[in-house]
Amino acid sequence: MKRLKGRFSLPSLGRGPFWGLALLVVAALIGFTSYYTVQPEETAVVLRFGKFVRTAGAGLHFKIPFGVEDVTKVITGRVLQREYGYRTVSPGVRTRFAEKGYEEESRMLSGDLNVIDIQWTVQYMIKNPVDYLFQLHDVEGTLDDISESVMRRIVGNRFADEVLTIGRASIADLAGREIQEIMDTYRTGLQIVVVKLQNANPPDAVKAAFNEVNEARQEKERMINEAQQVYNERIPRARGQARQMITQAEGYALQRVNRAEGDVTRFASILEEYRKAPDVTRRRMYLESMPQFIEKVDRIIVLDESGPGVLPLLNLGSGGLAGWSAGEDTGAAAGRPAEEK
Amino acid sequence: MFPKGSRLVVVVLIVIGVIAWSSLFVVKETEQVVVTQLGRPVGEPITQAGLHFKLPLIQKANFFEKRVLKWDGNPNQIPTKDKKYIWVDSTARWRIKDPLLFLMRVGNVPTALSRLDGIIDAVVRDHVSNNFLEELVRSEGWEDAKAKLLEAGVQEFQLLLESVEGTETGETLFAPVIKGREKITREMVADASRLVPEFGIELLDIRIKRINYVDSVQEKVFERMVSERKRIAAQYRSEGEGERAAILGEMERELAKISSEAFRTSQEIRGRADATATQIYANTFGRDPEFYQFYRSLEFYQGFNNPRSTFVLSSDADLFRYLGSIQGNTRGASGQRPASEP
Repeated sequence: MKRLKGRFSLPSLGRGPFWGLALLVVAALIGFTSYYTVQPEETAVVLRFGKFVRTAGAGLHFKIPFGVEDVTKVITGRVLQREYGYRTVSPGVRTRFAEKGYEEESRMLSGDLNVIDIQWTVQYMIKNPVDYLFQLHDVEGTLDDISESVMRRIVGNRFADEVLTIGRASIADLAGREIQEIMDTYRTGLQIVVVKLQNANPPDAVKAAFNEVNEARQEKERMINEAQQVYNERIPRARGQARQMITQAEGYALQRVNRAEGDVTRFASILEEYRKAPDVTRRRMYLESMPQFIEKVDRIIVLDESGPGVLPLLNLGSGGLAGWSAGEDTGAAAGRPAEEK
Repeated sequence: MFPKGSRLVVVVLIVIGVIAWSSLFVVKETEQVVVTQLGRPVGEPITQAGLHFKLPLIQKANFFEKRVLKWDGNPNQIPTKDKKYIWVDSTARWRIKDPLLFLMRVGNVPTALSRLDGIIDAVVRDHVSNNFLEELVRSEGWEDAKAKLLEAGVQEFQLLLESVEGTETGETLFAPVIKGREKITREMVADASRLVPEFGIELLDIRIKRINYVDSVQEKVFERMVSERKRIAAQYRSEGEGERAAILGEMERELAKISSEAFRTSQEIRGRADATATQIYANTFGRDPEFYQFYRSLEFYQGFNNPRSTFVLSSDADLFRYLGSIQGNTRGASGQRPASEP
């Protein structure tokens, strides 16, 4: 202490330099505490003796030093985010999420008293930094409470089926508007950018049963499709076959009628000629056709009505030449052509 | 060294500085102040931010929060009116409205919070126990929920509707909301608000943050949900089987119809053709039936074609007559007895 005192009273230093140094220190202090810089995403709120005087945007600004003016910077340019029912562990192209341990947040009752797990995100911006700082203690905490409360109200006013299927977009939309309204009444200075539902699932214990319903629905579709397939395989074929049957019949009909007409025309022509000379024509026709007939049969047996019975003349079991026999008194030559076969 | 006089000046300056320091105080935007003089409040509370004066040493500035504050309840296990045990987690917003009264009655925020615990917890408990669970969960507009789902045609929901129609569950499921969540919470706020002004506090809002079944009940709810879904799944499956059977049955009917109709039509066509042919033959052949018989017989002989057959002829057949004598016989072919022996 004595040495310290001694040093300050060093005659070589004198009074002048001491005050000079002190002034320099004071000047430096003033210099360092009278300016501040604001980043592009920030807004500075300046308080003079605790009273709000102005805000300042990005850039270099000056203030009254020595704690007369105090600067608080609020991030107003960024979209901020709160997550409910899950947390982002490490953001990135493939963000990892933690879902375990947040069931308390995600679990809620639907209007039909089922239990659903919902994960959602609220993105917001600080629109009014003055309100944000001065109106409400713990704005984020309030946002959390309101967000959970609003989401539960909305889900509680819907059937589980709606929440899990068609309701997602409308729920998120409604939640966004409702949260905004409440944030406005509290003058939190927050602007809700968007509310997004991430997952809306039945709880794990029930999930399997929900999946089973989906599977059953698929199964139903499959069964119907399969039956339809069989139907489609067989009905057109049957129709084709039916058409075939009918066209065949039509073919038969055409043929039948045409043949009849042909037959008749032919007969009519012959008849006409026959009438001109019946006896001659008849004999001619008979004699013309018999040789053709005889050529075509294996053998001919001729029975004489006045002769013995049939049996002795039949030579059963023998074919060909040996089989030929005829009545003695009639022309055996009639059988000749047949015998040659 | 300093002269004696100047040393005194420094001391005086320091004393003045200390006095000035203790007579000035800064009130921030987030604060309000009650000035007390020897323990007794003086004047109106200061709610304007800025630099303010007080008498040094004998007056004291008591700072209080001006912002809206949060109250967070402990989750409570409460039975509802229909004896369902649920966890209720509520939250509230309040602010110090009358800092003087606040200073006198509670003094600081932690004490105030514990007083609020007693009040709000009790109010929440009362209202939860006085209402059905459905009323606490649902809110205004619940009636539209059903219509909306029906309009959207969610199949599972339709199945659910069919299964509960007319039952007690169905009645509670679609019962209109009597009060609903908003109204119940508004009543809570109204009730609690009557109790807090004596603390200098204004209660802005109470909200039910979370409602959940207690664990044991939750298990039962899960079981119910599982059985509900299983029932829906079973229905889908049997519907599928039914549809399949219906389609296949329809197919059988259609097949029978197609083939029988085709048969009928084809027989009709054939029959008509046969009839036409018969008519044609009859018309022409009727002109000389005897000659026709002869003509047909000859045609038979000509057309006969079985190389392994044996033909038996009577010796008085026309053939032999023609062969035997020049004189023909116009008796016809009746004497011939065609027969074939395989």
